Amino acid sequence: MSKEQIFLFGYGKFGRSIADDLVEHDAEVVLIESDEALYHEARKTHRFDRCILMDVTDDAALEALPVRVDEQLVCVMDDDHLNVFLVLSLRALFPQSRILAISDSIHATRKLKMAGANKVIDLYAISANRIHNILNKPIATRFLEGFLNADHEYSFREIVIPEGSFLHGRTLEEIDFRRYGVIFVGMIDVELGNSFIFVTTGLEHKLDAGDIIVCIGHDEDLDRFEKAIHKAKEEAE
Amino acid sequence: MGKSFRKRLESGIIHWAIRLSRSPRYRHARKTVRDLLENPKNPYKRLFDSFIIFLILSSVFILIWEVKHPVPAWLDYYDIYFVSLVFLIEYLLRLWISSDLTGELVEAYEKAVAVGRDFRVGPALLRGIKKKLAYMVTPAAIVDLLAILPAYRPLRVLRIFVLFRFLKLLRYTRSINQFVEVLATKRFELLTLLGLLFFVTLTGAIAIYVLEDTHNPNINNLFEAIYWSLVTITTVGYGDIAPVSEMGRMIAMIIILLGVAMISFATSVIVSAFSEKLHELKEERIVESINRTAEFLIICGYGQMTKMFFRQAEAKRYNYIILDKDPERVQEAIHDGYDAIVDDASRHTTLSRFNVKNSKVTVLCMSHDDVENIYITLNAKSIDPRIRVIARASSPKIVSKYERAGADHILLPNQAASTMMVFAILKPIIYKAIHAIFTGQNVALLDEVRVHEHSSLIGATVGSINFRAYHLILIGVQKVREDRFVFNPEDSLVLEEGDVLLVMGHKASTAYFRESSCLNEKGCLR
Repeated sequence: MSKEQIFLFGYGKFGRSIADDLVEHDAEVVLIESDEALYHEARKTHRFDRCILMDVTDDAALEALPVRVDEQLVCVMDDDHLNVFLVLSLRALFPQSRILAISDSIHATRKLKMAGANKVIDLYAISANRIHNILNKPIATRFLEGFLNADHEYSFREIVIPEGSFLHGRTLEEIDFRRYGVIFVGMIDVELGNSFIFVTTGLEHKLDAGDIIVCIGHDEDLDRFEKAIHKAKEEAE
Repeated sequence: MGKSFRKRLESGIIHWAIRLSRSPRYRHARKTVRDLLENPKNPYKRLFDSFIIFLILSSVFILIWEVKHPVPAWLDYYDIYFVSLVFLIEYLLRLWISSDLTGELVEAYEKAVAVGRDFRVGPALLRGIKKKLAYMVTPAAIVDLLAILPAYRPLRVLRIFVLFRFLKLLRYTRSINQFVEVLATKRFELLTLLGLLFFVTLTGAIAIYVLEDTHNPNINNLFEAIYWSLVTITTVGYGDIAPVSEMGRMIAMIIILLGVAMISFATSVIVSAFSEKLHELKEERIVESINRTAEFLIICGYGQMTKMFFRQAEAKRYNYIILDKDPERVQEAIHDGYDAIVDDASRHTTLSRFNVKNSKVTVLCMSHDDVENIYITLNAKSIDPRIRVIARASSPKIVSKYERAGADHILLPNQAASTMMVFAILKPIIYKAIHAIFTGQNVALLDEVRVHEHSSLIGATVGSINFRAYHLILIGVQKVREDRFVFNPEDSLVLEEGDVLLVMGHKASTAYFRESSCLNEKGCLR
């Protein structure tokens, strides 16, 4: 069984940069495009495992795609209407898959959700929030930019508590995350269907091996922290 | 002998003029007075205006009161001396700033010296005085002058000139001013109509005078004929004078018809003038009111981005104005309840209408079109580099152009959405957290808490604050003194006044933290 594939529909204004990012992160991308010119452009890059040229309104062709149950479908066609239609078709054909879409207009967000997309990214909500931040919260703005810019000053990381870690059996209160230069943001509740819980909601929990905690920090600090928690005993300063 | 006296007088005048125009105090006084009388942005002008309006109203009230009641002496003195004196001073000040007499004299002198010609005071002085005279015969100046006249008591008739004080109100109330301005745009039509009215009235008057002078006891002279004609033509028709002969009635019928026609014409002219101008007046009011605020946004373009911007809760805080070239979009914005005007932000005149000197202005370029956004950016920066520009760019390739144009912040909506999408694909579980943070949802709002003068946080170490109890996460501290951001600070970091804490948490938690760290009884502002 090969690696999990990501089906990316569309190589337009969003598709291009998403595809590049995904390939950079060693993801296996299957690119589907209905426009011939864009298809050839994608082919020329030689970066994708598979490029498929097909009519995305054709259900038979969509059904023939080798989509496995747990694989993700990403709809970022340039044409808004086509995108909604595609999400609708995919939802009917692959009821178990996770479908993601980008909404290019306020009205499309709801339509995409109704059509069956699991996650809709609203282009404008993100940017509008950024404007508010720029206007009112210059420091928050600079911090958030640290996540997005090319050198990734700060990043998010999911860290699994390994077997035999000193964190095992400790409550969240007891752990001094600051020592490692990382900020504990929340954790993922595996029992509750992998949902994320913010620490700010008043989280109280005793850590077990296999729990996933989420931290933010500089990459090198996160690396250091991940290494440290493998040890059975917390090192003294 | 006479010649040398004239020479001495001339050189005296010119020296006096030079000294005056070079005196900083004189110039300052002049500027202050001009500001007070003519600059609508001056806060003291409002006060001054209210004061004058009060004087006018009180004076007119005294006039009415006097008709039936005896007026106490002090009130009379107030009316004669105080009000008139203030008006006199105001009149003289207006005359003073109407044109720059000394400045012109000096300029003419310098020109003459520069070309090596003999300078003659006479012609230059005459030119300056002519300008003053030109001001004195403007309707506003005449009204001002007449409003002073009632102070001269021996002539009882002059009392009625108090009503001219009423006319002075025109200057101080904007709505009447605008009314006059609107009518002025139809000057040609209205003057034509007035001429026609005059002609028809006079014709009718002469006809009735000639025809009925002999057998109508009410018409004894031409004045009465004109009076009758005007009363008839305006369809007022008191009936105190009426034609008695058949010919007279014929004339009455004709001029009544003409009168109806002319009045409806006049009405339509005025109405159309207003419907044309009303829109503009409304926009002007919006611009004026926004200019009075200390900080505001100029949002260029009413599209998806602007709509989303206003949908977020924080948008209520701002003073803003929306500009769009497309009247349909402006209609839409107004329909949605926002202040918007039709204007092209890439034009110099558009942006210079705003009070960029005294207010903190931020321009948001929200259009899809990079060319337009860059042009607006350049336009704003060329008017005043202090204008902050937040621009939207379509792709990372074009960012350098925005930077060169001087944009302070550049948004890349497409790229931001793509980055989020990659997050959503690769880290599906924590995507929720990232999404909440980046879209500013209440549950994980990044917020800044300033350590202000009344804060209990001054002098505290970061370790001594139990953020967990507040359900907050401390992300970092912006140290004001070193001007640097400390991410995830150590417990020993001491907070000082002016520092800013960057915290994350529920909106209510942040509000509670802010409130409980405040020592000021009156409560703290943000």
